[in-house]
Amino acid sequence: MFYQTPLKSVTVIVILAALALYAILGGYFAGEIVVEIAVLAILAISLDFVAGYGGMVSLCHGAIAGIGAYTFAGLTALAGFDGFTATLAALAATAAFGLVVGAVTANISGIFFIMATLAFGQMAYVVVFEWKALGGDDGMSGVSRYDFSAIGLNMNGSVEFALFCLLVVLIVYAVAAYVLRSSFGRTLIGVHSNEDRMRALGLSVWKHKAVAFSFSSLLAGSAGILAAQHTLFVSPELLVWTVSGEVLIVVILGGLGTLAGPIAGAALLVFLKQQVSDYTEHWHLVIGLFLIAAVMAGGRGVYGQVEHVLQRKARSDANA
Amino acid sequence: MVADADFWLTQFLNGMQLSMLLFLLSIGLTIIFGLMHFVNLAHGALYMVGAYVGVSAAASLGNFWLALIAAPLAVTIVGIFLYVAVIRRMRRAGPMNQVLVTFGLIFVLVDLVRILWGDIALGMEQPAILSGPAEIFGVSYPAYRLFIIAVGLVVMVALSLVLSRTQIGAMVRAGVENDAMASCLGINVERLFFAVFCVGCALAGLAGAVAAPVFSATPSMATDILIPTLIVVVIGGLGSLGGAIVGSLIIGFIQTFGAVVLPGFASVLVYVLLAIVLIAKPAGLLPARS
Repeated sequence: MFYQTPLKSVTVIVILAALALYAILGGYFAGEIVVEIAVLAILAISLDFVAGYGGMVSLCHGAIAGIGAYTFAGLTALAGFDGFTATLAALAATAAFGLVVGAVTANISGIFFIMATLAFGQMAYVVVFEWKALGGDDGMSGVSRYDFSAIGLNMNGSVEFALFCLLVVLIVYAVAAYVLRSSFGRTLIGVHSNEDRMRALGLSVWKHKAVAFSFSSLLAGSAGILAAQHTLFVSPELLVWTVSGEVLIVVILGGLGTLAGPIAGAALLVFLKQQVSDYTEHWHLVIGLFLIAAVMAGGRGVYGQVEHVLQRKARSDANA
Repeated sequence: MVADADFWLTQFLNGMQLSMLLFLLSIGLTIIFGLMHFVNLAHGALYMVGAYVGVSAAASLGNFWLALIAAPLAVTIVGIFLYVAVIRRMRRAGPMNQVLVTFGLIFVLVDLVRILWGDIALGMEQPAILSGPAEIFGVSYPAYRLFIIAVGLVVMVALSLVLSRTQIGAMVRAGVENDAMASCLGINVERLFFAVFCVGCALAGLAGAVAAPVFSATPSMATDILIPTLIVVVIGGLGSLGGAIVGSLIIGFIQTFGAVVLPGFASVLVYVLLAIVLIAKPAGLLPARS
């Protein structure tokens, strides 16, 4: 079951507030880091939704975000649509892609599911890579950010854009939490804990999983839209499978199946990367060792470990 | 498009060469998969380590053939270290944790190679005896590439014989089929796993050293080769020698001929095939378990 506990609420609000403060006080460079964290956090929340609560460990969420980024970039930069229409279209495209992947892979589990999602992600990567109209392997520039000048906001400012991205993180988190608390979300968690039981109860399991994957892809798509606006540029690099691997790392570092943990994981990974690369160019080595240690220590993640300790303490207090 | 027979023979040999390289890697991976239920994404990184050790050994010993022995040995030692430190503890941790831990190992191994050897591509001399072109059915083809095909075929035949004719082979097949039953019959499955894992590492190292003169050793080879190898393993069926052979040939030939016939579309074709196999026959074309 998913409960929006006070601990979750406090964690999410404290992290987002701290990041907002950092962006406001830290200048241009801080703003860039906060945007990077926000994009990664949205992706990680969307992955945690299917992986942590639906048992579908996807290795194509990076590619899905890339599809969102490319749809948005193509419609605004090439076809001249406005940002709002392009956003809707990009979300629709990612949701449709997710629905197909979810429906096709619904009966596959374990390592085979991971491999199947990898295959679909790589397919999208290769298509984008070869698609000359979208710039092929050179990528596509000319993306512009949302125009909020009507309400006096200049989105080209680093701080303004960073704050906007944090707002999107909050919205995505709230939407994901709302869906998990709804009957749809409870059913999804039921499928995760026992698929046969849900089938016996009369649920069309594959449909439910497909819709859940589609919803998660839609959330991932919003991360892609922000990523495209962040760099004003999209390239096939967005869709490579190692990006999806990094998102999975974020979810694990924060805490799988906690929804709040991925936000902490994203902040942790980006700051860690930043700190380590100040000292050495071999930050992958440090991240790799950190990841191995985190998984081998029990794999609850930073937030998951805190939640676990507090829950155990609460339980022993209740028994005493 | 050139349509003469020589052209197609050359493409066929190119396809064979890629297939054999994929086979050397996927056979180790598939048996580790099938026998230990362990997902080792770091297998491609071991291949990279093999290439670098091969380059260094060939340069310092001045002998290609000694390098071909040194690389598998060094990679096996790295593999044993990984086994003791990480893999043994992750045996029952579930596929997602295994994917993550071995993903971390890729990061670590790639950066260690960067620290030890630098970030540039390192070439390796072909042995003098194999450096020229060879005539085969009237077509001129690099002799060294024929050597790669030969190495793959020799390993393939040797493994088939060991798996089908010897007692150890029977024990491995029993372990893949049903490890609980095999250990009830007095087979030390854990030790068998370890031995198989070492052989898999040695073959990855051999593949790396054999590939180095053609492709050079680069840090990116760890992830570049990983995806095609995983696809071979999944298409062929986990834990099966026949599956690894068939899968390597299918992927090797699709990539080679696809690049000629449908440029740009070849790599999509591979993923489409993978998706179709996973949906229609999730256990692979030639699953080890009946």
